[in-house]
Parts: sequence; C-alpha cells; structure tokens
Amino acid sequence: MPSINRPLRQSDYNRFSSATPIVIDNGGSNFRIGWAGESDPRVIFRSTVQRPRHRATGETVTIVGDHDTALMKYFDCTRSSSRSPFDSNVVYQFETMEYVLDYGFERLGAQGMEVDHPILMTECPCNPVSSRSKMAELLFEAYGVPSIAFGVDAAFSYKFNQQLGICDEDGLVVCSGLTTSHVFPFVNGEPVFDACCRTNIGGYHVTDYLKQLLSLKYPQHLSNITWEKAEDMKMEHCYVAYDYGSELELFQKRTKEAEEKTRCWQLPWVPPPQEEAPTEEELARKAALKEKQGQRLRDMAAAKKSGRILELENELQGLEDLLQELDEMEEHEMPSFLSGTAYSSRLEIESAVQKVAQSLRKVRGDPSDSEERVDISSAEKYPLTGIPDEMLTPDQLKEKKRQMFIKTMSEGRSRAKQKRVEEELLKEKQNLQDEERRSENPELYLETLRAKHKELTEKVEQRKRLKTNGSKTNGTQNLNGSGGRGERLNAAQRERMRLLTTAAFDRGKGEDTFGARDEDWQLYKLMSKDNDDDEDEEDEAELVRVTSRLQDIDPTFIAALQPPSFLQPARATPPTAEDFQIVLGVERFRCPEILFQPPMVGIDQAGLDEMVGISFRRLDFVDDATKDRISNSILVTGGSLLFPGLVPRLEAGVRMIRPYLSPLKVVRASDPILDAWRGAAAYAAASQFSTQTFSREDYYERGEDWPRGYHIKYAL
Amino acid sequence: MEPEVVSSEMALPAVLPFKRVQMSDKYPKGQSRGRHWKHLKQILQAENFPENEPNYLSIESPPSMYPSKKFCDVTGFKAPYVDPRTNLRYASPDVLKCIRVLPNEYVQRYLSLRNAAIVLK
Repeated sequence: MPSINRPLRQSDYNRFSSATPIVIDNGGSNFRIGWAGESDPRVIFRSTVQRPRHRATGETVTIVGDHDTALMKYFDCTRSSSRSPFDSNVVYQFETMEYVLDYGFERLGAQGMEVDHPILMTECPCNPVSSRSKMAELLFEAYGVPSIAFGVDAAFSYKFNQQLGICDEDGLVVCSGLTTSHVFPFVNGEPVFDACCRTNIGGYHVTDYLKQLLSLKYPQHLSNITWEKAEDMKMEHCYVAYDYGSELELFQKRTKEAEEKTRCWQLPWVPPPQEEAPTEEELARKAALKEKQGQRLRDMAAAKKSGRILELENELQGLEDLLQELDEMEEHEMPSFLSGTAYSSRLEIESAVQKVAQSLRKVRGDPSDSEERVDISSAEKYPLTGIPDEMLTPDQLKEKKRQMFIKTMSEGRSRAKQKRVEEELLKEKQNLQDEERRSENPELYLETLRAKHKELTEKVEQRKRLKTNGSKTNGTQNLNGSGGRGERLNAAQRERMRLLTTAAFDRGKGEDTFGARDEDWQLYKLMSKDNDDDEDEEDEAELVRVTSRLQDIDPTFIAALQPPSFLQPARATPPTAEDFQIVLGVERFRCPEILFQPPMVGIDQAGLDEMVGISFRRLDFVDDATKDRISNSILVTGGSLLFPGLVPRLEAGVRMIRPYLSPLKVVRASDPILDAWRGAAAYAAASQFSTQTFSREDYYERGEDWPRGYHIKYAL
Repeated sequence: MEPEVVSSEMALPAVLPFKRVQMSDKYPKGQSRGRHWKHLKQILQAENFPENEPNYLSIESPPSMYPSKKFCDVTGFKAPYVDPRTNLRYASPDVLKCIRVLPNEYVQRYLSLRNAAIVLK
C-alpha cells in the first residue's frame, strides 16, 4: 500500500565501512534500499517521479515517491505527469531512474564525494544487456560506485526462503510483480533461466481491471474511483476463487453465500435535509392568506364592475337626455343640433341607446333575454321568411336571405342542444342500468366489465398498431430499400395505393385527363379519409367510459396504459444512501482471475498454473526424479500474489498438469513483498559476495559490453 | 518555498554532494530534453541475442493451450451469447437489454477491457 509517510533520512551512514554493500531492490512499483546483512530495508518508496513547477518561485522541483497531496497546492502539475523509469519490467528511462536513485541514496544518508559502497541491485530475469549496461554506467559514472552486482529478485526471494527451510534446493518459484509474472525452476540451488517463463500480467493489470470495471458500473461516481482507492480495494477485498466457474454460478444464482461474500463501499453521503410536514397552524395561516388574496381580487372585480355600470348608466342617461331634447326640438333645428353630437340621425341615437342598454344588462349579469327572444315565434322574428319572393322588393329580398340564414343557424343550434340533452339522458339511463346490474351481482358485473375492458383495449391497440406501426415499418422499409409491392402495407396504405392506381388507369386511354372533371379531385378526399375513424372513436370513448367505471369500483384495477419499461430512467425519488454505494460482488474474484486467465483482459498468454507446466516442459534436460523434487517445492512470492485462496488454486491447477500421484507442494513465501530484498541483503553479506561483483576498473577496461556474459552464482 | 514544503522534505535537493555529476550539469536547463531513451520494444529490437542463451524474448509464455473461456463483458458470468451488433458477450437476455441501450462509448470501453475494441489509427 502506498504510504503517504515520507521516509526519513537515515543518520548512521558513516557507521558503515566502505566495504559494506548497499542493497537495492529495484522493483517496478517500489524501490527498497538498505544495508547488507540487515533484516529490513531502510528506505522504501514508490518508484515514481514527478517534476512540477513551484507556483511561487517558478522553479521546477523533483518529487520522488508518494507525497502528501495537501502540499500539491503549491505546485503546478499541469505540465508534468507521474513518471516511472520502467517500461514493463525493464528500466528504460535512465533520467527518471537517476532521480529515483538520487532520492534513495539521499534518504539513506549518503555523505562524502561519492557513494563508496559496493552495490547489489535486483533486475528482471533476462534483462536486456543495454538496460543493464546503462544502469551500470549510471552507477559508476554518476555515483562513483566501486563495484556492482546484479541479481534476479525472485531468485533472491527463493534463496531466502530456502534458508528459512520453507523450500528446498530444487524447486520452482512463481513470482508476480507490478507488470509481469515469472516462473522459473531451481536445480541444485541455481535458477535455470532456460526454463523461465514470463507472462506480461501483474498487479497493475488487476488494479486497472478493477478500476475500469467499477467506473463502467458506476459512471456517476467516477471521481471517487481513483487508482489509489482501487488499489486499496484490491488488497482488502479481492480473492482468488478455487473454482472460478462454480463461484460465478454462486453469484449468478444470487445465493445466500454470494450475498455474504458481497462487499459494499459506502461513499461519503449526507442525506438531504428532511422537509417537515407543515403544521396545522401553518396550513391555516396559508389558507387565510389565500382567502384574503381571493377576497381582494373579488373586491377589485366588483369595484370594476360597479364602475362600469356607473359609466354605462351615465352614457344611457346622456343619450336619453339627447333624445328628449330632440323631441322638444323643432324639425329644422335638428340637423344643426345633431352636427354638434357624434350622431347623424335620431335612428342612430336610438340604436346606440339599445346597444348601451344591452351591455348594461350584460354587465349587471341580468339573465340575457336573447334566448327569450329566440323563443318568440319565428314568424314574428323572421317575418319575411314566410312571404313568397315575388311579393318582395329587392331590398326586402336581401333582408329575407339574411333572415333565412339566421333562422337555419339558430334552428341547427337548438337541434344540437336537444341532441346533447338526449344523449345525457341516455347515458344516465345506462349508468342506472349498470348500477342495477351491479347491485344484483357485483362479482359477475365486475367480471364482465373487465372482460369488456380487455377486449376494447385490444381492439383499440390493434387498430393503433395497424395505423402507426404500419407506417413506421414502411418507413424503415424505405430506408432499407426493400419496400415491397404492397404486400407489407397496412390497410390504409393499401387503399390509398388502390385509389391511386385506379385514378391513373381507369380512364387513361393514352393521355392524362386527371383533373379535367371536378369529381377527380374527390379522390384526394377519399384518400386522406380514415375509413374506420368513426368506429375507432366510438370504441375509444367506450374504453374511456369502461376504464373510468372500473377505476371507480375496482380498487385493484390499474389501467395499463403504458407497458412497463425498464428503460425509464426518470427517477423522481431523492437519492438515498444506496445510490452512493459501490458494491463489490463478482469483481472480488473476477479481477485476480486474470492472473490465471490472461485472455480475459486480452493478453493472449498462459496463466500462472499453465506457466508452471510450460516451465516443466522447457526443463527437458533433467530426469523425472528431479522434476518431482522440483514440484514438491513450489514457492509463491511477489506483491501480486497475496490474494487469499491463491495457493490452493495454484496447487489445483498444477496438479492437473503434473503426472498422476506425483508429489506436489505449493507454499507461500514468508513475506512475498520483502523477501527479495532480504534475500539480496543476506547474499550481499556473505563473504564470497565480492567474487560476484563487477568493479569500476573492469568496466573502464572492457567497456559497456561487459554484462553480456555476466551471471552471478546464487548458491554461495 | 513555503515552510511546510521545506519541512516535509518532499523536493529532491538540486545539488547532492555524493554525486560526481549533478543532474543540472548532465541535463542543462533550457536544452531540449527530447526523447533520449528507447522504449522496451526498441531496446529489444536493437539487442542482438546470442543463440544458446535464454533472453528476454525467448522466456515469454506462449498463448494458452486451452480455449479461452467466454465471460459476459458486463456481469462477468459465463456468456453463452454474443450480441452481433456490439460484439459484446452477454450472459442473459436481461444483460442484452442493458447493453442495447449502452452508448457506443461504453460499448467500446467494455470491448477495450479485453482488447477487442475498434482502434482507429
């Protein structure tokens, strides 16, 4: 786990003589440095380098390892990302490596002009020569190191556990690091790299897989699913399933066991403040306020009304006075008097009076007497309608036409009114009948009503489908370019096509005469008309009636107007704590499973158990007895193999590969993470260590090609 | 620098006495810090491996001998079906309904998890 605690600078550097080697486990994720012969490394930090710009001074600073994120506010990280010196498990960026080494030596407390200690450093199995020689160059040139030795971390781990008695002289090591996993055997205490096997999958892939899966599962919590969090969850909750298939089935069937195995991560979540139900007092206050406002509006309307009445009354009074004045006036005085007013004749004034009186009545809300006037016998109202045309003057004829029009209009209106009344009566009667039937046998009635509702729904639905679906499919057919010759069309479309063809062919003797006659244009009316519209409407009305009736009397009835759709994302309910939970179910064992099945993440290589088999296959020069000894001492080490359940699973996998009844023992290293460094420290403390190193003089003499044939002997 | 930054000792000192060549001399400021390193692929291409020794490439595992099992891309369960439209594997009809409404971006992300996404170059 990446610790935020920065390692302290060691103060006892001078205590060690220049013959004491410094041991470095240069791992893909963590850099560990310490003194030979000690039990634990002095300084451990993550092997990353960041070079942000200091905001205040503008200078670029180098930060190695993890750091307190709170302090990052003083730095501008926009132009620098976290960098690692490793590409896969090989060091390739030596500038970054130099920063890491700088920091390592600085924390170890290095003093003096150069680092005057032999160095033992770990590397990957079969490290490319150029990488190794560049590393040697860096150590010799930049730090003035007197001599160097390189060894494989997994081999040191195995040797350390061999000393502890956990594994034997002949054996096999399974080691998984950040980006790669290795398997190689030991024969007579020496690793055999001819039989080594590497798959490019490691803890990085597991964490990345977990992070990707969770961020795809919970896109709304993306900001919470950080790399560090995923790493933590991996270490805390992930495990290896003994039988992946049956474990999956367990979860697929949602058994109780699976439920117990599910882990839940509650994200920080604060429930929204609960809205308190308004008290009675409050309600009363609100109602009073509302009432008051209503009253004010009503008062305002009344005041406006009375004002208007007053205004109209004044106008009426004025007009009546005018009429009176006119009555008292002589004939010849009239024109001059009228020119003073807005009216040109007495008749006009009278009509104005009538108008004003009428609006006054309206405003006062008197029952309008227009209806009554309709009731006046039509003969009286439309006097001209009964008289034959020959007896009338042209003016009267015009008037008669007008009267006829008004008469038919009003008659139509009254007929419609009567019809409405009749319909209502009919409905009432029907309701009454329904009620009777219901009281006779409520259950039977309900049953029939339900059946009717169902039938009607189906009918309407089907018709709708025919109408809309038909046109829809036709649309897609057109898109696909596979529009048929009418066989796939719905009824309306077929009818339309028929009409069009008849229009085109029934009269066509060569030339197109369509439109020559007025009837031709009726065709369009026919086409646009929906034939069974009326029937459709009737059905729909009936459906509405039945539905409302059912809703009234049947509490269990739910009108299935919309099919239940799981696509409806709209969720009006406020978010609850459950929405802020990240559930780890299948992911717990799905992510580590990629170590055994790399194809799950698109890496087409053998998994851990198969790698053991491959390693045995490549070990073709040893006899079967040795192979049995080897398989009886399989050591599991490396930071990515800490998952619970991994050892039994690996054992089961290897048992399938090894011959029947051959001995098999799979053990976990005493400390899969630190054993490599401890083994290296023990190795460097041995007296013969100096025979395995490569000195600066050798380097200057033989150039950078020296590492080609360089191999240390692990068994000293 | 702020006192808390200094006290945390988070920044690497610019001059380290135990070094023969300081970083600032090795990589002078203002000079282009272009790519003076090779990726692993290039390193391996430049390497000439001797015949009879194991090397970085030869120790690589071969593909698995067993047919790779098919798992649902969304749920992780055994996946008997493949959606021909998105190429996603799925375990049950419910999952299919789910993946049919997934935006294409998510489909591609699911596919890229097992390295099956369409990569435009």
